Amino acid sequence: MPHVGPVVQRLPKLSKRSLLGASLLAMLCAALPYQQAHAQGPRNFATLAMVAEPQTLDPMASTADLVGTIMQHVYETLYTFDAKWNVVPMLAEGMPKISADGKTYAITLRKGVMLHNGRELNADDVVASLQRWMDQSPRGKAVGKEVASLKAKGPLAVEVVLKEPYAPLLSQLALPSGMAAIMAKDSIASPLKDFVGTGPYKFKERRPDQFVLLTRFDKYSARKEPASGYGGKREAAIEELRFVPVPNASTRVEGALAGQYDFADLLPVEALPRLEKSGGKTVPIMTPSFGFPYLVLNTKEGVAASQPVRQAIQTALGEGEMLAAGFGDTRFFVAEGNHFPKGSPFYSAAGADQYNQRNAAKAKEAAAKAGYKGEPIRVLTSRQYDFHYNMALLMAEQLKRAGFKVDLNVVDWATLVQRRNDAKLWDIYVTHSGQFPEPMLSPPQLGDGAPGWWDTPAKKTALQAFNVESDPAKRGALWGKVQQVVYDEVPYINVGKFNGLSAKSPALDNYQPATWPFFWNARIK
Amino acid sequence: MIRYIASRAAGMLVVLAIVAVLVFVLTRAASGDPVSVLLGDQATAADIARVQKEYGLDKPLPVQFGYWLREVLQGNLGTSIFLQRPVTQALWERSEPTTLLALMAVAIAALIGVPCGIVSAVFRGRVVDQLFTGIAMLGASIPSFWLGIVLIQIFAVSFGWFPVSGYGAPDAALAERLHALVLPATVLGLLNSALIIRFTRASMLDVLGEDYVRTARSKGLSESTVVLKHALRNALVPIVTVIGLTVALMIGGAVITETVFGLPGVGNLVVSAVLRRDYPVIQGALLVIAAIYVLINFSIDLLYAVVDPRVKV
Repeated sequence: MPHVGPVVQRLPKLSKRSLLGASLLAMLCAALPYQQAHAQGPRNFATLAMVAEPQTLDPMASTADLVGTIMQHVYETLYTFDAKWNVVPMLAEGMPKISADGKTYAITLRKGVMLHNGRELNADDVVASLQRWMDQSPRGKAVGKEVASLKAKGPLAVEVVLKEPYAPLLSQLALPSGMAAIMAKDSIASPLKDFVGTGPYKFKERRPDQFVLLTRFDKYSARKEPASGYGGKREAAIEELRFVPVPNASTRVEGALAGQYDFADLLPVEALPRLEKSGGKTVPIMTPSFGFPYLVLNTKEGVAASQPVRQAIQTALGEGEMLAAGFGDTRFFVAEGNHFPKGSPFYSAAGADQYNQRNAAKAKEAAAKAGYKGEPIRVLTSRQYDFHYNMALLMAEQLKRAGFKVDLNVVDWATLVQRRNDAKLWDIYVTHSGQFPEPMLSPPQLGDGAPGWWDTPAKKTALQAFNVESDPAKRGALWGKVQQVVYDEVPYINVGKFNGLSAKSPALDNYQPATWPFFWNARIK
Repeated sequence: MIRYIASRAAGMLVVLAIVAVLVFVLTRAASGDPVSVLLGDQATAADIARVQKEYGLDKPLPVQFGYWLREVLQGNLGTSIFLQRPVTQALWERSEPTTLLALMAVAIAALIGVPCGIVSAVFRGRVVDQLFTGIAMLGASIPSFWLGIVLIQIFAVSFGWFPVSGYGAPDAALAERLHALVLPATVLGLLNSALIIRFTRASMLDVLGEDYVRTARSKGLSESTVVLKHALRNALVPIVTVIGLTVALMIGGAVITETVFGLPGVGNLVVSAVLRRDYPVIQGALLVIAAIYVLINFSIDLLYAVVDPRVKV
């Protein structure tokens, strides 16, 4: 084969040349100054490191907090929450006029609110949006069951008629996750292709796994009231918001320390000492009462189907220890039996004597009396969140000390959310939720059909009374009764409250910590 | 030659068919359900069943497999459950960072591996050899996420020379995107240089013992000419093979590095798809990665035949 020789001859030369070229390229890149983009005058964008790539940008399609966090800048709701978790109007002009029987809500829209497509918002847009929400959104569907009719009563008037009085309606309409987003009627499609809302930012571009870009909406119609929480005046002071997915938590911490991000969401609590010692490069932000871990008990099948056994389990647990195992630093959690923090209209100590008992002897006795015969308690948990796993480990030890047999099933999150739907597979699973301003928003076990399948006359009576009362002052006391039933029947165990840790750059000014971080009114110094 | 190519190509198809079956079976054998993840905590059993039906996930597995295979044979890898776009498009969008990362990492690996391997072979048994062999062992054993975080802390956080993560600003030019790849490429390059050091050393040692090397030396040629011209050229075939295989490995194997550095590459896509059980993406991506791997192997086989007359065709 005469051609072989030259090829062998040429091969090393080619390799050398290409290696040389590649190395020169690498060196050239290494020599490039970083942050060249930052060098051109004052910055008009903010880089916001999020925990993941959003599953979708359709704010109704997912209850994921991340989707709500991003899309609340694009879409607005009729109502929202102020800094004290009161419901306040956003796209609605004021609070609704509620009929005497508590069933008819007359909502008037603010005049002159512009949609991102340049048209003025009207009642048809609102009706079409809410209809889509009640048809498609998991949370909206639950609300839809309460609604008898939804109609436009004029260009700016919307009327909602309920089958029975349903007090959580306004909170449901206000929540940013699984959002009752108001969109332009003509943009509504499934799946959603154009994101036409009324928010201070409009959608610019999405490149999956790279970024979601939102840009200032110049014709935004702001409210006149001063800003408070999510409510009041909103202003897009930063021209462009860049939401970038940074799924690795350590990388988010390092990026915050390096000053690469203006905001880094949900950082591991162990990172706090390093953030504090960053020498002004980044500022740690604590969001108090960010959420609560909870244990769901299977009331339908298996050993925990017996209420006395569930009570014995509750007696065995020391939630304070569990929180310490989950969150370490005492600045990050509060061990208290009231499901809502002090200051909330739903604060109540009812049943709290059942919380954090950690009484192995009493639990053992109660379990024996309940007929517990050493069947293994199957605990379903995942390592998606370290604190779930760490709390589950400690809980298993506490249960063992009280004479229970424990079978710890550690699976990944996708497996857990599948298995918990099958009553034959588990007795307890570990999860958590954001701390929401309205009890009916979470955990889903307060509704119907959620895993755990809690369905008793006492639950129905207490929740019925709570849901038909629309006077906020009276609802507080009625929630106490619901909380008491939860402690008595133990369908789930609220482990306590934890705080969230994030970080912001010193350049990001006027940022207000929030469960769903928002960046209107914030500016870059 | 034609028979050789044909038999290799047939073997390639068999491998891909096996991969297709394995990938399908393994993704379905793992428990977990994309729809429960997609719809979140508040979804009812009825919602889940409805969406499962929408995606054909309620059908028996053999039916799902048949449907998927039919589509794959027509070049359609399906549509992602989460990304709402075709899998081929999702893969194409993520191919740039992955390809550039692999090429840059291999360049770094080769730049470290080949010279170190040569020096090790020439000074066999001496301190330098032991040092490089030790480094190679270390490189092969260090976990990439650890090395990644350490390099980030030093070069991105302390010195600020490189971004911590990501693939440049949205409007980044190629130079800025390449700049963002330097740290991850260094991690991958350092770790993969271990294999190249070992191969270069072994291959050089074989060649240095040959008669023609002794002849070259006895002709009075300088040691550098003997090593670099006479020995290295003949030792290169296995080295080139290993470098080629490293490229192939990196296209699917940069998973952890891409996650640590938040790079929007194929590895990252596969990881998030696995966590969400996005079956079409897992299946499509693994099939494409396997195809690339097999193709590179195939080309190496062909190159052998061209480069080395001893390979029978």
